[in-house]
Amino acid sequence: MKRHPLRATAAALTGLVLAACGTSSSGGAPASSSTAAARGGSLFVLTTSSSVTLDPAKSQNLAITTLGLIYRRLTTWDIAPGRPPTVVPDLATDTGTASDGGRTWTYHLKDGLQYADGTPITAADVRYGVERSFAAELSGGLSYHKTLLAGGTAYKGPYTGQDLPAIETPDARTIVFHLATAYGDWPWIVSMPAFAPVPRAKDTSPTSYATHPAASGPYQVDSYHQGSALVLTRNPHWDARTDPVRTGGPDKITFQLGQDRSVVAQRLIADSGDDRSAFGASFVPPAQLAQVSRDAGAKQRLVTSDPGALAYLAINTRRPALADVRVRQAIEYGVDKHAYQVASGGELAGGLATTLITPGIPGRVAYDLYPEEPSGDVAKARQLLAAAGTPALSLSLLVDSESNSAAQAQAIQQALQRVGITVTIRQLDDEAWTAAATGAAGDYDLTLSSWQPDFPSANGNLQPLFATSEIGGGGYNLARYSRPEVDALIARATGETDHAAAQALWAQADRRILQDAPVVPLIYTRNSFLHGSKVADFFVAGFPAYPDYLRVSLRR
Amino acid sequence: MSGTARRAATARRAARARTAARRVASAALTLLVVSALTYAVFYLLPADPAQLSCGKPCTPERLQQAREFMALDRSVPRQYLDFLSGLVSGRSFGTGPAAVRCPAPCLGYSFRLDRPVVDLMADRLPVTVSIALGAAVLWLLLGVGAGVAAAVRPRTLLDRGVMTLAVAGVSTPTYLLGLLGILLFGFTVHVLPVSGYVPLTEDPAAWAQHLVLPWCVLAAVFAAVYARLTRGQLLEVLQEDHIRAARARGLRERRVVGIHGLRNVLLPVVSVLGPDLGGLLGGAVITEHVFSLPGLGSLLLDAVGSVDLPLVVGITLLSAFLIIVANAVVDLCYGLLDPRVSG
Amino acid sequence: MPASLAAPGLVGQVLRQARGWRRDLWTAGAGAVVATCVVVALAAPLLTAVEGQDPFTYHPDTLDASGAPAGPGGGIGPTHWFGVEPLTGRDLFAVVVHGARTSLGIGLAATALAVGLGVAAGATAGFLGGWYDRLTTRVIDVLLGFPTLVFMIALGAIAPTDLPRPLLVVLVVGGFGWPSVARVVRGQTLSLRQRGFVLASTAMGAGRGHVLVRQVLPHLTVTVVVYTTLLVPQMIATEAALSFLGVGVPPPTPSWGRAIGDAVAWVSTDPAFLAFPGGALFLLTLALTVLGDGLQDRLAPRTADRTADRTADRTADRSGPREAR
Repeated sequence: MKRHPLRATAAALTGLVLAACGTSSSGGAPASSSTAAARGGSLFVLTTSSSVTLDPAKSQNLAITTLGLIYRRLTTWDIAPGRPPTVVPDLATDTGTASDGGRTWTYHLKDGLQYADGTPITAADVRYGVERSFAAELSGGLSYHKTLLAGGTAYKGPYTGQDLPAIETPDARTIVFHLATAYGDWPWIVSMPAFAPVPRAKDTSPTSYATHPAASGPYQVDSYHQGSALVLTRNPHWDARTDPVRTGGPDKITFQLGQDRSVVAQRLIADSGDDRSAFGASFVPPAQLAQVSRDAGAKQRLVTSDPGALAYLAINTRRPALADVRVRQAIEYGVDKHAYQVASGGELAGGLATTLITPGIPGRVAYDLYPEEPSGDVAKARQLLAAAGTPALSLSLLVDSESNSAAQAQAIQQALQRVGITVTIRQLDDEAWTAAATGAAGDYDLTLSSWQPDFPSANGNLQPLFATSEIGGGGYNLARYSRPEVDALIARATGETDHAAAQALWAQADRRILQDAPVVPLIYTRNSFLHGSKVADFFVAGFPAYPDYLRVSLRR
Repeated sequence: MSGTARRAATARRAARARTAARRVASAALTLLVVSALTYAVFYLLPADPAQLSCGKPCTPERLQQAREFMALDRSVPRQYLDFLSGLVSGRSFGTGPAAVRCPAPCLGYSFRLDRPVVDLMADRLPVTVSIALGAAVLWLLLGVGAGVAAAVRPRTLLDRGVMTLAVAGVSTPTYLLGLLGILLFGFTVHVLPVSGYVPLTEDPAAWAQHLVLPWCVLAAVFAAVYARLTRGQLLEVLQEDHIRAARARGLRERRVVGIHGLRNVLLPVVSVLGPDLGGLLGGAVITEHVFSLPGLGSLLLDAVGSVDLPLVVGITLLSAFLIIVANAVVDLCYGLLDPRVSG
Repeated sequence: MPASLAAPGLVGQVLRQARGWRRDLWTAGAGAVVATCVVVALAAPLLTAVEGQDPFTYHPDTLDASGAPAGPGGGIGPTHWFGVEPLTGRDLFAVVVHGARTSLGIGLAATALAVGLGVAAGATAGFLGGWYDRLTTRVIDVLLGFPTLVFMIALGAIAPTDLPRPLLVVLVVGGFGWPSVARVVRGQTLSLRQRGFVLASTAMGAGRGHVLVRQVLPHLTVTVVVYTTLLVPQMIATEAALSFLGVGVPPPTPSWGRAIGDAVAWVSTDPAFLAFPGGALFLLTLALTVLGDGLQDRLAPRTADRTADRTADRTADRSGPREAR
């Protein structure tokens, strides 16, 4: 399935210093003339994706984008510019009551919740929605819950006739989750798409459920033509009073699919006709950012996020040539982060990175283990390589074919050339890259990637990238890094329910991992988006570095 | 009719039937080979389609489960045989109430898009047909017309001008022309929409408006080719003896060119039009990419990028089938138009 | 053997026609442009040494904060004759001049491969006939039925990393180009087979191999030469299209197609980035096409039997993959 552009590893980097005007203050100005959201109008969302996965079990959407308009979950995210994201109750009355040392979580649903057809939303529906995500026919979505729920690894879904005992629904408005281990971040997990309620009666044909799903959010699916358009219209039974984060402004939302990134940006810059009520779901490419910097009107409508994802160069620690930590440290010093930044679009593409936990994540501690000029330390790199006994190396660099990747890869190639490392670039299409990089074989020396956690916790920054369990088989430990003491540290931090203590442990893990130099942190990416002149309440916070679809409205 | 004549007629009919049967058999064989080659090529791709259905985070158990469900854990020849049998009797993936059913003829099932390949292609076909036929009408009118005009006035300014434009047209890549067209007509002068497709049934005016630029871009390049072709052929034909004879007999020039000349040019044009149209109907990949049109070409490009093997095989087969049909139609026209061949 | 029965020497023909070429300024001009491009491609390192640049070094100081070239006209100046590339600051003149090597090199090599395979397959199929001919025609039909562009993309992804990319592009582009050549050559061979000198030769006891190589092939030469000149721009255009889609020659090797693909988005801020490589590609393709036309007009044999040939000759324009449209 074509993943929604919000998938972290596909983050394309953009940026431009709108120097003199400083238009895009971090987070962007929610330029609305009234405090109450204006209602009405037809909003257009221009996106490069050619398909939208509407089935909540198969979706990897963030909580504040497309599917958040159609489905409500037990909890959701409250995003606003300038402050850290918080998890807030959505269908539930609170973010969950933990008991049994963080292994059992209980939720109570609010009163009077209904689907678009008027039927009430019950706890059994939430349970069924979670259970059906385990079925093989519906796999592919965010799956954190599948290993966290007790007995989840063995469960095959409700179509086999079995229920998942780890989920209990003592009555129509209460749902209880039993986890395999204590997990402090569970409230974030239940904001994921799989926790959208699905009435069993409507799930007669699971693979075609998504054509007319039961909508619990402000909008319902009117029509979906793959490659063409997805049209959402109002859900008459959505109650704004029960919903703290959604405003349900526009009457109709049309997603125009399969667009070209550069053309989308140019259309929004031109701002004519229907494009005035549109915004771009994809990042503005560097060429158009340069164009925006020369266009006063467009500058007002450009919004840049706070630093969000970490762009990094992963070094395959399992390759014999790269086994010596000095070689990897030489690469740390050899890489020209400034050239990479320029290739990504300049200063607004993001600041240079030195830590593994991204800014904005609670508990992050800033440090710099490998201090150097922005363009690297060639002498030190050469010294380290000589000390390791390999003054000249030949390495392969795997990149995917997102638009900037070629320029970025070449920046790395050029930089490493200076210290005596010859880099051969191998460019693969998105899915082929995923298979090669996350597969078992690991037939590469270096690879470029970027990672934004799926929920704003240091856990999301470190565990998926550096735990031994995430090597191969689809896991994102691209550096194939494995250290028992680091795994132990990660396990301790995961189970720790005291937030302050957990954060201290994560900061410790951050530094410990970088001592082994399995990756070179490059920049903390900032994403830029354009919107039309009639679009209001459009902003992009630090986490996630994407616009909040749930609050966008149209000016009259 | 006498007995001999009747027997001769029956013999001819039988011969034609045999030829037809041979053609159908060879077409089927070609399609088989094409499908086998496609399977072979795409299976060698270093990508695991099961990965897409694995979820995030992906565990080895879930990956294996996905593989079993998509029938990818079987050997490649076995998968190919499954595909062939699906053509005849349809296929089922998984068991129980959530099983996915792909009705016959099942050209494959796209797990990425959750629909049988045939349905996906049927959705996209009107777009591709609109693009291809519209452009074809335009380039035939423009190209053949220009070629004829140039041929009847050789070495004049008109001829030189047309041929210069034609040579320029042949040398320009479509993507460049398309992108410059978008820039000019879409952004500098806001007269045309730059992307998207509106179905004919929904709004004919918008349908045409969205397709004008793609038509013009495709037609420009093809018209150049056809102008050159027509001019060259017509010039040669006009030198021939029977044309000179017709002129000598006193027939009007227009009649000479129109009837005798064009009839002989028709054949080469048709023989070139067939494969061209057949190929375009299979999807004009670059044009659809540039103009963000949801046709078969962009579906195919998407499918290759996402390693959606069933979709790639399906579209490749459709494309090959259309080329075969186009060639067959051309041969048929040859038979009808050129008495020397059908004899 | 009397001169009239001997196969006409190509050189003799060219010399006879050469006198007419002075009249045809267009073809001469095109020939000059092509020759210049070849010289430029061969002398690329020398030219860039004169300028003092190379196509690989980054010059971030020539860019402004947004990554666009700082100077006027895309950074044109005494040190950067064509300006610089955005986001990298690489010298555009060096990229264009070295890109000529890539385009011409791959174009010529792919053409050589396509023509070589095509003549071999087509001539033997047309001459020998029988099951071999039927099989070859079948293979040609199958290959012509493929959506070739897409397969080139796929093959690019499959190929092992140690296979040098330019070689792969040549193999793929040439490999998909030979069927149309073969078809034309087969058609010509079929008609040549009936000609007097071939029949006479066979009657005098010449073996099939001898007749094919000594009698038939020389008569094919002219068609082949003309077809080749018209094929080269197609191959160059295909390589450019593959690079545009991102699956051609990989960086850092300069390539016109890739430069055009990158440049299109920058047209409003830095049109020079598109103008130079785009103009170069257009000019070279144009010159080759005009040259091919001129050669065709001069050298195409006026064969008596044209029914089968006619369409074949003029299909040279479309020998590139159809979907390169």
